[in-house]
Amino acid sequence: MPEQPYEPERAVAGTGMGGQMDLAASEATTVEEAPGGPSGGPSGGPEGTGPREKARSLWSDAWHDLRRNPVFLGSALVILFLVVIAVRPSLIASGNPLQCDLARAQDGSRSGHPFGFDGQGCDVYTRTVHGARTSVTVGVLATLGVALLGSVLGGLAGFFGGVWDAVLSRITDIFFAIPVVLGGLVLLSVVTSNTVWPVIGFMVLLGWPQISRIARGSVITAKQHDYVQAARALGASDARLLLRHIAPNAVAPVIVVATIALGTYISLEATLSYLGVGLKPPTVSWGIDISAASPYIRNAPHALLWPSGALAITVLAFIMLGDAVRDALDPKLR
Amino acid sequence: MGRYVIRRLLQMIPVFIGATLLIFLMVNVMGDPVAGLCGERQCDPATAAQLKREFGLDKPVWRQYLTYMGNVFTGDFGTAFNGQKVTELMGTAFPVTIRLTVVAIVLEIVLGIALGVLTGLRRGRPVDTGVLLLTLVVISVPTFVTGLLLQLLLGVEWGWIKPSVSAYATVDELIVPGLVLASVSLAYVTRLTRTSLAENRRADYVRTAIAKGLPRRRVVVRHLLRNSLIPVVTFIGTDVGALMGGAIVTERIFNIHGVGYQLYQGILRQNTQTVVGFVTVLVLVFLAANLLVDLLYAVLDPRIRYA
Amino acid sequence: MLLEVRDLHVEFHTRDGVAHAVNGVDYGVEAGETLAVLGESGSGKSVTAQAIMGILDMPPGRITAGEVLFKGQDLLKLKEKDRRRIRGAELAMIFQDALSALNPVLTVGDQLGEMFTVHRGMSRRDARARAVELMDRVRIPGAKERAGQYPHQFSGGMRQRIMIAMAMALEPALIIADEPTTALDVTVQAQVMDLLAELQREYRMGLVLITHDLGVVADVADRIAVMYAGRIVESAPVHDLYKAPAHPYTRGLLNSVPRLDRKGRELDAIKGLPPSLLHIPSGCPFHPRCPMVQDVCRTDVPPLYDVTESDADRGSACHFWRECLRG
Repeated sequence: MPEQPYEPERAVAGTGMGGQMDLAASEATTVEEAPGGPSGGPSGGPEGTGPREKARSLWSDAWHDLRRNPVFLGSALVILFLVVIAVRPSLIASGNPLQCDLARAQDGSRSGHPFGFDGQGCDVYTRTVHGARTSVTVGVLATLGVALLGSVLGGLAGFFGGVWDAVLSRITDIFFAIPVVLGGLVLLSVVTSNTVWPVIGFMVLLGWPQISRIARGSVITAKQHDYVQAARALGASDARLLLRHIAPNAVAPVIVVATIALGTYISLEATLSYLGVGLKPPTVSWGIDISAASPYIRNAPHALLWPSGALAITVLAFIMLGDAVRDALDPKLR
Repeated sequence: MGRYVIRRLLQMIPVFIGATLLIFLMVNVMGDPVAGLCGERQCDPATAAQLKREFGLDKPVWRQYLTYMGNVFTGDFGTAFNGQKVTELMGTAFPVTIRLTVVAIVLEIVLGIALGVLTGLRRGRPVDTGVLLLTLVVISVPTFVTGLLLQLLLGVEWGWIKPSVSAYATVDELIVPGLVLASVSLAYVTRLTRTSLAENRRADYVRTAIAKGLPRRRVVVRHLLRNSLIPVVTFIGTDVGALMGGAIVTERIFNIHGVGYQLYQGILRQNTQTVVGFVTVLVLVFLAANLLVDLLYAVLDPRIRYA
Repeated sequence: MLLEVRDLHVEFHTRDGVAHAVNGVDYGVEAGETLAVLGESGSGKSVTAQAIMGILDMPPGRITAGEVLFKGQDLLKLKEKDRRRIRGAELAMIFQDALSALNPVLTVGDQLGEMFTVHRGMSRRDARARAVELMDRVRIPGAKERAGQYPHQFSGGMRQRIMIAMAMALEPALIIADEPTTALDVTVQAQVMDLLAELQREYRMGLVLITHDLGVVADVADRIAVMYAGRIVESAPVHDLYKAPAHPYTRGLLNSVPRLDRKGRELDAIKGLPPSLLHIPSGCPFHPRCPMVQDVCRTDVPPLYDVTESDADRGSACHFWRECLRG
């Protein structure tokens, strides 16, 4: 697992995206429809930009793009489906994932059991469907925690600067110096609880610096926008500046990176479970199933392939969703 | 340049102290450091107290940390569960893992940059789309699944490689494990190179290079690539730490007796000395790699050097 | 004629439709002559220059019609390999923002020397010596030492001198300067412009000076071509144009410049905004903003009329150029 789940430089580079606030409304749209834009040189300005009424805000512009983007629609559909079966797995798998029959261990697929049986004789289909809940829960909660903690700490550091910023930067460096899987092994090996909370807690603990760096960067960028300076000159309070003027502009890169990170957290959970320090039975999870199936991969590869496939599709869906959102928010790459 | 290096070195000190302290706390606060010392049995309270005194574990954690670090700097990493010196374990484990990591990094650089350049210069063509999809698949499938599948296919089904690596862990045995270890990073490097090229392709200085009448090859290699690879180099450097950490998974799959294996054993047996020792060295390696990247960065980008 | 652009058309395919950036531009430059191409951003002046140089981004750009005759040869019909030999060596370009136009990670000596190693096959050592000579020529103090420095270590004016040196390196027959002084401080602007004019006279080069700054034009240009919405709307010798513009757009431009002899009077800005290249107005593209607009302007595209009232070669794309000339 890479420590920074996704092309961090790109995410940081994307922080310069214009604002959707009223004052900056026109700035967001200019880049895309400029025939001579890149050619006209920086101050030549985008040539051929339409009249002002064509200006759309950053978010509505992004939404306009996303609705027509098959990648976005596809991954959003997959994620929607996942959420539904995470909430109500019985909709498509009525069996009990913990009900196993050793006599059928490692058997292939048969009528009523399309994915076959695993080493304990449990129905792979039922377990794969039920595993979605754990993976989605871990992914969503860890991401929420990381995003909240990271953007609050990073945002404040970026906004106030000075000592706090320096201290936080060093702390982030410290966390970056510890490889995630290694930290997971050390921290989680002593945990005996078989709930999802220790795993989520660990991910938040080691994950927040990534978001904090991005939030800090985008707050610093947003802080330098003219309209923020103007609002400050007009006497807006720190709180108002942060919440009303800066946060809405700084949040885009955080959302993008968090979406992509969600996928990698799901993958990380599986890796930790494979190493025996993640989730523990009787929790039903893809990671546990893949890990349990790995010793007899030769005889019953299906027991490994189905949960792996489900895991890969889930991770892929989140990464592609984040990717699509980023492309839509960042007109530079068109 | 000299001042830049010194500044970076100074900045590394708090990071090193912080990271090792963090690991030290994790191991000591969360686990029972003497639990592993009595073999399979539970230690009886008297023996435990005795052992704690012996190892200085009755002192406050910060004292223990200082003592430990003091020892580390004199080359004493303590003793492992079986009475072996931790340094001896390191002596056998690190060469193996370093070989594995070097194989992985070489693959990451060569394949990753080659694929990134290939796709970056042919954006939107079938080869671009194909490689891009492949990188997404590689990123989405957890490394251990990729590893298990490759082991099954190449090692068991097709018999191209031995499914597990011998105790000597020679470089040719490590190519497939190295590829598995590098796979995710390799995909990132490909994507990063591609994006970076795409961003710089329209840069003004590339336009100038074309306007100067330079041949396309020269424009691409000397002007475009030179600038585009700067973020890629940064990524690869910071990735060294991640690779070392990821080696735990790869080494477990292919049964390689390297750092990951020793750490895993240490953690299973709750052997504090082994775990803290190995992690300390890994953190050092990570910091050294980062320093190297900073220096390389300064060499590649004069704007940093003279800042 | 050294350079002759004939009926050039360039369009860009964007998400929102086809942008018609250049719509039938004609202009010519003689050796030793300076042609100023004047226009707002979006008027197609830079795109025309890029089409001449062959550095247009294609796609999204596309040259749909026209010829670019350089020394009688149509550049648009040449193979890329042959065009490359002309680029830089016979036809050079100076860009607006030297900081981004110079490669940030190569020394200026290397970037200058590259012209000689690539086009002339010189050794790196000889090329470096020539680079230092060039830097001397554009009056950069301490050229020998500074050749080893990077672009960000120079001031804006010095960087633009390096751009000029790079364009001059192989003594091209024609230089296109795209807003060469816009990014500079006013005090430095004049120095850089003087240097450019001096070198141009010395080597008898043709110079196409793209600008939106009327002040720059008056001193150095021989002729002026005014562009609007991808067309030439007026073309005239500089003094004739200043004395009596033959197009209401030119008149508007001249009136929007503060002048000492009209102190106290209000400036007349041209009302409205330049047109979107996606939807160019029918008839005369300037008609929505024109103070002299008539019905015919909304329907008929004016050709570049021959303005015969003066002796000089002069044209105006206004149906009512006579009325305009009379003021």
